[in-house]
Amino acid sequence: MWYPTWALRRPGVSHDAPQQAVDDRNTVVALNSHAAASGITIGMQRRAAEALCPTIVTIERDQTADMARFEYVVERIESVVPRVEIADPGLVFIPIAGAVAYYGGEQALIERIDKELDAFGGDYRFGLAAGPFAAWQAVRSTSDESPLFIVSDDTAFLSSLDITAIGSDDLAATFRWLGITTLGALAELPHDAVISRFGRQGLNAHRIARGMGNEAHPRDIPQDCAVEALFDPPIEDFDQASFIARNLSQRLINQLAPHGIAPHRVVVTAIAADGTERVRTWWSADPFDDHTLTDRVRWQLRAWIDGVSVGIRGGIASLRLEPDDLSGSGRQLALEEDVKAVDETRRALMEVQAIAGADNVLIAVPQGGRDSGQQMLWSRWGDEPTTTARDIHAPWPGRIPSPAPTLVPPDPIPFTVSWVDGTPEQVRLRSRWVPVLSWAGPWRSVGRWWVGEGSSDRYQIVTSAGAYLCEVRNGSTYLIGVYD
Amino acid sequence: MFDYSGVPAAAHAGEGRQEDTGVVAQLERISAPHERVVDSGVETDDVFSLAPGQIAGLSGLPGSGLTRVGLSLLTPYTSQGPLAYLDVRGWVSPLAAWELGIEPERFVVVRTADIVTWSRVVATLLDGVRAVYAEIPHGVRDAALRTLAARARTRRTPLVLRPLDGKLPQGVAHLQIEAREVAWEGTEQGHGRLLVRRTLLDVSGKATRGMERTIEVEDDGTNDLRVVSHLGTQTSRRFP
Repeated sequence: MWYPTWALRRPGVSHDAPQQAVDDRNTVVALNSHAAASGITIGMQRRAAEALCPTIVTIERDQTADMARFEYVVERIESVVPRVEIADPGLVFIPIAGAVAYYGGEQALIERIDKELDAFGGDYRFGLAAGPFAAWQAVRSTSDESPLFIVSDDTAFLSSLDITAIGSDDLAATFRWLGITTLGALAELPHDAVISRFGRQGLNAHRIARGMGNEAHPRDIPQDCAVEALFDPPIEDFDQASFIARNLSQRLINQLAPHGIAPHRVVVTAIAADGTERVRTWWSADPFDDHTLTDRVRWQLRAWIDGVSVGIRGGIASLRLEPDDLSGSGRQLALEEDVKAVDETRRALMEVQAIAGADNVLIAVPQGGRDSGQQMLWSRWGDEPTTTARDIHAPWPGRIPSPAPTLVPPDPIPFTVSWVDGTPEQVRLRSRWVPVLSWAGPWRSVGRWWVGEGSSDRYQIVTSAGAYLCEVRNGSTYLIGVYD
Repeated sequence: MFDYSGVPAAAHAGEGRQEDTGVVAQLERISAPHERVVDSGVETDDVFSLAPGQIAGLSGLPGSGLTRVGLSLLTPYTSQGPLAYLDVRGWVSPLAAWELGIEPERFVVVRTADIVTWSRVVATLLDGVRAVYAEIPHGVRDAALRTLAARARTRRTPLVLRPLDGKLPQGVAHLQIEAREVAWEGTEQGHGRLLVRRTLLDVSGKATRGMERTIEVEDDGTNDLRVVSHLGTQTSRRFP
């Protein structure tokens, strides 16, 4: 069952105007019918969409909040069919084999679920198939007018789909170049030939095309590879829960890594302080890694702790992650890495987070910008790196040339410089005046005048004590970098 | 005002002398080819490197290039795992580390200025991270530094220590580096841009077999530091 516009369902947001939801890469991930009528499609860049429809309302997707609201829907579905599997906020796989017999047929079951969700509203759709991949493709084939698609024969249905349905653009392009344009054509290729030419990725695509799913079954699966943490006192704070989610997820993935396996399905079990047990199963078409699994566990905990559903009373006393449906495509280590060293590093950095605070263990990624401080984007170590909105390949006129200053204060610091006829003569370091030996600049930064930013000039100033990067703004000089 | 509290008193006192004599002219004179090498029996390349478990101490003014010197000593280890930078001032810029060839995901910055947690954080990092660069806040006891040095040796983790005040206690560092003079090329009076930094470093410790030596390093900001010349030992009395 799929809510294609789940990311747009926010309290207080009108649905009468064109709306779109974008992810952190500014790609459109959901849109309503008004937006679609303007020619906007999923996958389009935000800028292009806004060019097509300047009045469109753009919402930034927040999957944690989306999941907190979706938990209520999942509870309603579970009142009809137990043990559903969540793939994303808005997308849930419902195992219907037993329920179809119990309720007397597929149509009756759908009507029963529909009745549960009717009060909640929304444009939910159903796709019925024997396997999850075919079901996903089926639900994507639905429309507002025809919200139900039942697949009677997975293989026949999949064979008509375009080759891009395998999910890998590069591999799909290769197949297309070879004249294989549908999943049916791919399924007809000899199994051994696909493996020898395209490896594991090709094998997965071939299995999908034949309606077999992409699960592999490695020989050495550890007996009990679940991970569990007990909390006394129980956890009621979401930040604490997030930290635990990452810790447990990494433990689980690391435990499986030496066997070369990773889970497609993980059962998250939380026991509340009052003894209530809450269970959710998360499913992914690609094997979970520590980042993706951490996200799912965090979303689930947020839904239980802060969501609108019954939730967890008195806090979480125990949290358990149990892998299922293991895949042989585990994480590939870098050439010089070894598992033990990677584990030790993770453990050490997590311990440092506990000592110094999670916000004080940081990692940065490069991004575009004119000043050194703008050219890096910080995020907490262990979190998914924040996606930069500043294009690193853009020209950035006024950018300070390399080398970069080694020390950059978080905020510009007043710096006393003696200027004579526009030339820096001396700088004041602590209590002493030090002559300027040479200098370069200015590099002018115009600033975003439309939001009130003023212009500034940047100078490289060399003294006998070292070189400094200064900024002159509104007649005052500030230190913005030290070449240490 | 720019906080210069991290400037060691001795180095600060020497600053005036450098101004008086003209540091650029002095460096040019020192770097003259005919004066470059004085053989003291120790290879320069051996001196300017850090083996697993060895500790380097840095002292000198902010701006003298010591952060890049310290990072360049640890850069070779980042092919095997992350480098942790303990940032007491909260000022370090990863851009400089990336310019040295350190991958962004291999440069982890830990910010803490509290001297109580500082020792615990360094000890934990030494246990798990491949290389550690730690600024030392004011007030850390010598005994704590010696304990951490022993831990680095035991765990075979290379460690660079940068006191924000003064020097490391005797015997802690295998390689003690003190910035003596720094000069930049590329800037004129309003023209050009910073291109190359030449730094004179006084190097001592077990790495130099107990002798104090002077090394000139050249840093163009986009590559590893290059040792231009081994200028001499203190005992040679070749340079004033």
